[in-house]
Amino acid sequence: MDRQTVERVARTAHIWLTEEELDKYSKDLGDILGYFELLDEAPECDSHGIDPIGVADVTRDDEPRMDGDPDALLRGMNTYERYVRGPRLS
Amino acid sequence: MTMESTLASLRDVNSRYGMFHAMTDDTEPGDAEFLFSAKDNLTSMDMETCAGSRILAGYRPNFDATAIAKMRAAGGKLVGKTNMDEFGFGTFSANSGYEIPRNPFDTERSCGGSSGGSACAAIAIEYHVSLGVSTGGSICCPASFCGVYGIAPTYGRVSRYGLIDYGNSLDKIGVLSARAGDLRKYIEVIAGRDEKDPTSCVQPELRSGKVKVGSVAVPKDGVQGLSKDVESAFREGLESLRSMGIDVEEVDMPSFKYAIPAYYVLATSEASTNLARYVGMRYGMQEGDLSLKFDDYFSSIRSEGFGDEAKRRILLGTFTRMVGYRDRYYAKARQVRQLVIDDYKSVLKDHDLVLTPTMPFVAPRFDEIERMTALESYKADYLTVPPNLTGMPHMSVPCGYDGNGMPVGMQFVADHWNEEALFSMAEDWEAGFTLRRPSA
Repeated sequence: MDRQTVERVARTAHIWLTEEELDKYSKDLGDILGYFELLDEAPECDSHGIDPIGVADVTRDDEPRMDGDPDALLRGMNTYERYVRGPRLS
Repeated sequence: MTMESTLASLRDVNSRYGMFHAMTDDTEPGDAEFLFSAKDNLTSMDMETCAGSRILAGYRPNFDATAIAKMRAAGGKLVGKTNMDEFGFGTFSANSGYEIPRNPFDTERSCGGSSGGSACAAIAIEYHVSLGVSTGGSICCPASFCGVYGIAPTYGRVSRYGLIDYGNSLDKIGVLSARAGDLRKYIEVIAGRDEKDPTSCVQPELRSGKVKVGSVAVPKDGVQGLSKDVESAFREGLESLRSMGIDVEEVDMPSFKYAIPAYYVLATSEASTNLARYVGMRYGMQEGDLSLKFDDYFSSIRSEGFGDEAKRRILLGTFTRMVGYRDRYYAKARQVRQLVIDDYKSVLKDHDLVLTPTMPFVAPRFDEIERMTALESYKADYLTVPPNLTGMPHMSVPCGYDGNGMPVGMQFVADHWNEEALFSMAEDWEAGFTLRRPSA
């Protein structure tokens, strides 16, 4: 995979790469995608789902309920009063 | 060995082998009936949960994973969270932001991965059972390298609530132990429907009778590329099965060779979306520079917090889902997964189980692992990936030892929901096999 593609993918994935990492992943991903060409040879198949078994939706009554303690949730977070601190939006 | 003496020796055992990321300070079992450990990607209220990643450093969940909660309710005391490859990304437990577990048979060698710490605990601690998680072979591989029994049940058999996801369509929680009977005993404990994981709600009841396995099928592609030691231990294993009155037949499974690329496309696609949530807010690492713009803040945390293999898999999974590549990779991989399922179903019409060695070689040394390329280590999973793609239950049983005393395992696969056949096979096998413990 060429360096520009790796850079573009990394930007999409929110990862900064050093020059050294760019070289390394460019080579590694090139090797891996080369091997994946095997998939082109595989026969096609019409029936296929997302999961390996049949999965059905499970719903419950639409009634509000509290499964956990909100204060316990906030305990491990970087908070200001009862807000979670985050980076600037602009 | 009492539970008190096990608890008293826990720190010493951990300093030798490094199986635990977090462990109990308790010296008394209280009213516990048994001790267990769990892979560190299962949330636990009383211990930090990091899934092998620096990006989750300091994360203390406020709920137990269903599997851990069920083990506790059955009388289990959680004594440690086991070291693993970051988010499950590896075959040797060496891709970790924390300690790398060392094989109790030879500490210069790997325990396998990604549930390496769990397999290590299962062989090094007497009367111990450990919960592992398998996405592409992460229970069977370490079970094989550490010489224990390990089972990954059918996808959906055990609730994934509280599991830090790697690949949602592939992850399965299972059990590792030095005793075959524990597979049945503890899968019965952790299995069952859980409304918090809809996937678990379609399962039929777990059957747990004693069944006679009459025939096993060995895919021809599953006996290619083996090291000499593994091949000879496996051949001896086949002879033992025949002497138990089980028919062994070689079969063709044409889709076998496509399983590795299909798996790595699906698993990394799913992983790259699952890992999008780790941005330095809410849990784990949160000490970034909040004056940065949000894009830069997220990128700075992710660049620092993810390890080398996590970055590689995120990049790969992001790429294969991109516009223009999606059909070639992701859509095709889903088709291949169905072909693999169809192949197994077809063979399992005429046979009770499918059998291969678990890994093509015994536990490698860490210096050998360092010299492997990423692709070489992916390809090493060619025997464990096919059953994982199918969602079918599978297990590794110890079947011999090489000239250096390193364990060799073989892997049985049953049809969806037929864990019963695996439990029975493991128990029958154990009756005629002498399991070795490492010398301390």
